Amino acid sequence: MKATYIKFLLTSVAVLVFTACDDNNEGGSAVNTTLNSDIINDFSNNLPVVVYGELFTKTSLLYDQVGALNDGATDAELAAARTTWKEARKAWEHSEAFLFGPVSTKSIDPRIDTWPVNFTDLDAQLASTNAFSADYIDGLDDALKGFHPIEYLIFGKDGNKAAADLTPRQKEYLTALALNLKTLTEDLKSFWDKSVTTSYYHDFTNAGAGSTVYETQKSAFEEMVNAMMGICDEVGNGKIMEPYEAKDPELEESPFSQNSFVDFKNNITGVQDVYLGKYTTDGKGLEDLVKAYNLQLDNEIKAKLSAAINSFDAFTVPFGQAITTESVKIQNTIDACNALHNTLEQSLLPFVQQHSK
Amino acid sequence: MRTEKTIMRVFAVVAILIVVYACVEPDELAETNFNEWLSGGSQTIFDNGARAFSSPFPSLTAARAIVHGIGDGAFEQTFVTAPSLINPGLGPVYNNVSCTSCHINDGRGKPPAGNEQLSSLLIRLSIPGTDDHGGPNPVPGFGGQLQPRGVYGILAEASVKITYNEQSYQFTDGDAYSLRFPTYTFENPYMPLPPDVMYSPRIAPPVFGLGLLEAIDESDILANADPNDNNADGISGKPNYAWNEVEGRKTLGRFGWKAANPSILQQSASAYSEDIGITNFVFPRESAFGQGQYDGKNKTIEVSDSILTSVAFYIRSLAVPARRNADNAIVQAGKQLFVDGKCSACHVPRFRTKTDVAFPEISNQIIFPYTDLLVHDMGTNLADNRPDFDANGQEWRTSPLWGIGLTRIVNGHQNFLHDGRARTLLEAIMWHGGEAEESKEFVRNLSKTDRDAIIKFLESL
Repeated sequence: MKATYIKFLLTSVAVLVFTACDDNNEGGSAVNTTLNSDIINDFSNNLPVVVYGELFTKTSLLYDQVGALNDGATDAELAAARTTWKEARKAWEHSEAFLFGPVSTKSIDPRIDTWPVNFTDLDAQLASTNAFSADYIDGLDDALKGFHPIEYLIFGKDGNKAAADLTPRQKEYLTALALNLKTLTEDLKSFWDKSVTTSYYHDFTNAGAGSTVYETQKSAFEEMVNAMMGICDEVGNGKIMEPYEAKDPELEESPFSQNSFVDFKNNITGVQDVYLGKYTTDGKGLEDLVKAYNLQLDNEIKAKLSAAINSFDAFTVPFGQAITTESVKIQNTIDACNALHNTLEQSLLPFVQQHSK
Repeated sequence: MRTEKTIMRVFAVVAILIVVYACVEPDELAETNFNEWLSGGSQTIFDNGARAFSSPFPSLTAARAIVHGIGDGAFEQTFVTAPSLINPGLGPVYNNVSCTSCHINDGRGKPPAGNEQLSSLLIRLSIPGTDDHGGPNPVPGFGGQLQPRGVYGILAEASVKITYNEQSYQFTDGDAYSLRFPTYTFENPYMPLPPDVMYSPRIAPPVFGLGLLEAIDESDILANADPNDNNADGISGKPNYAWNEVEGRKTLGRFGWKAANPSILQQSASAYSEDIGITNFVFPRESAFGQGQYDGKNKTIEVSDSILTSVAFYIRSLAVPARRNADNAIVQAGKQLFVDGKCSACHVPRFRTKTDVAFPEISNQIIFPYTDLLVHDMGTNLADNRPDFDANGQEWRTSPLWGIGLTRIVNGHQNFLHDGRARTLLEAIMWHGGEAEESKEFVRNLSKTDRDAIIKFLESL
């Protein structure tokens, strides 16, 4: 009796020891460095290279268009500039899904996209006789330049400005701002220029292969996923939540163009782009890594991406109104962004850490 | 039956012990009872990317996480000229427009390159003598800090030009290195600066982990102080007692390049006031008060008490990134050299935080900040020759080294020391003098392999 007990107990201990220490789960921790390398390369070539390239093309066109707004400018010409502003905005909002590297460390982001606008000083600038040289504009505070003062000048406070309402000083300032925006986006493009051997493009694509910034491929993957999480959090808990909770449309970004929902949607679509490795051209993305080991996670991420992206289509009024009249839908978008964020944080991040080194 | 039950019980206990212990991974740093990978104790985060300095404590309660989030949002807010519906009150004179525009990614600032304006570097000013509290004596017309920007129509105090003069040196093995000596020129001052003006350039330091530094017991800091060098090791270490605005008395300074700031709340409040021109309950007077730029209009508190305390809490609860490669052989060799060279005499690796029943998250943590929070004479080459409370013109606070290896990925540069003059970690070491002269000479005499090892160790922090 006792011997049986002892044998049984010894066996149980042995079984427990072996099973408790078996941390080799079903997927193992297989690392496919070739695939990982492809993902990092395709991300770089399909996202920052293309998106910043498009951003520069659009801001260059915007500069040409606002520069051509002379005394006889028509409403159609102004409308064309507005369309270009929105197109440039589309590229920029996509790029916010990978807001790391020089765009952040070189303070390009605040110089391009600061909200609120310093209207008091803006009015004073317009009333002054200051020459708006490139250096002068470059030296101005962030709240006096970039997308939003340009938006204010071409759309007007209520979004219905007529070409005839543009004053000569406004045109001067507008042209100078557009030039500044064009220059800064050219910098962004050049940071990811693969033909320049010292560019950030090479810091990123050489991750784990001699890059001094990204010593491992894992750190490059973490950078990508953290940036995806960052913009989900920013959209859900910042851009939407803050005006919504305060019920204050003044806190809204892009109010003059009523472009806020489009901005938000482009932000989350940017997250999807990074996941797929695709903006215009498809390549290897994190998707391919996830699909290889965990189809269920891939499905979950895609479902949450779609839910968040589609949540912005439900609105019938602009964001500034929706925060008071369509609360349920607003709460839906916040929840969808947070759900996506949580899946990225709790599932995708540990997954890429496990499958990279 | 009784014996069988006893055997069963004994086996159960033994089995549990075996199961538990069989799963404990062997600890690479087994000679110690703590985990050197976890620089911030249980408030360490595992993120070595661009956001490495920007994560909240991993174990914040839900309520505290909300306050952290509010502070995070406020930290990013851009202030504009009053009147404005959002964030009014900028200036009238100021250094920058938001917290984050100096502390980019909650990290380290850098000096301006080429013709860039000063952004994450500011200049403190004073004239000989002290103020009512024993602190720096403000310069009439300028105050205690130079504000190189003004809102529209308001005169900036002056602009700053920095030029560098390169000097060449050699390591003992013949390898060359070069240090750049900065010269600061004040251009277009709105009124003449007095000839005896003293100035001290200061880079925006990283803001993570400060809650844990604030939680070190004062007696543990003072235990390392040796102002008269009684142990004759050439290293003194002096506490800097600075004016505490909230308590209305001098208390131990811990923050800032000269440890002249006693609390995170006061540090945040003074930055709002001096750097952005935003008045608050700690500093209710405009920084330009008494100067020509002051319009007498901004009489209200421009940032609410709750936002200010949320921002202070945000900073207090920013986690510390974990080390990388701490078990690498070269890193470990570098660590030994760091100890042999007596670097660790001031860059004290380890502290245990005190117990704070109101804030268990920061209590009783073994942390690895690599600072003693004391001020030391760093020699004439680094001197700003501007006293700041008990710190004299050659003394600087030992800078925390945790997270320093992530500066490149978070902030995209390798500029170190109080004014960012060092362009690499090695240059930063070679700038050391005064009490650290011997440590610098130790490094000068190292072989290239050993120099690389010490840098690799620093990069692992």
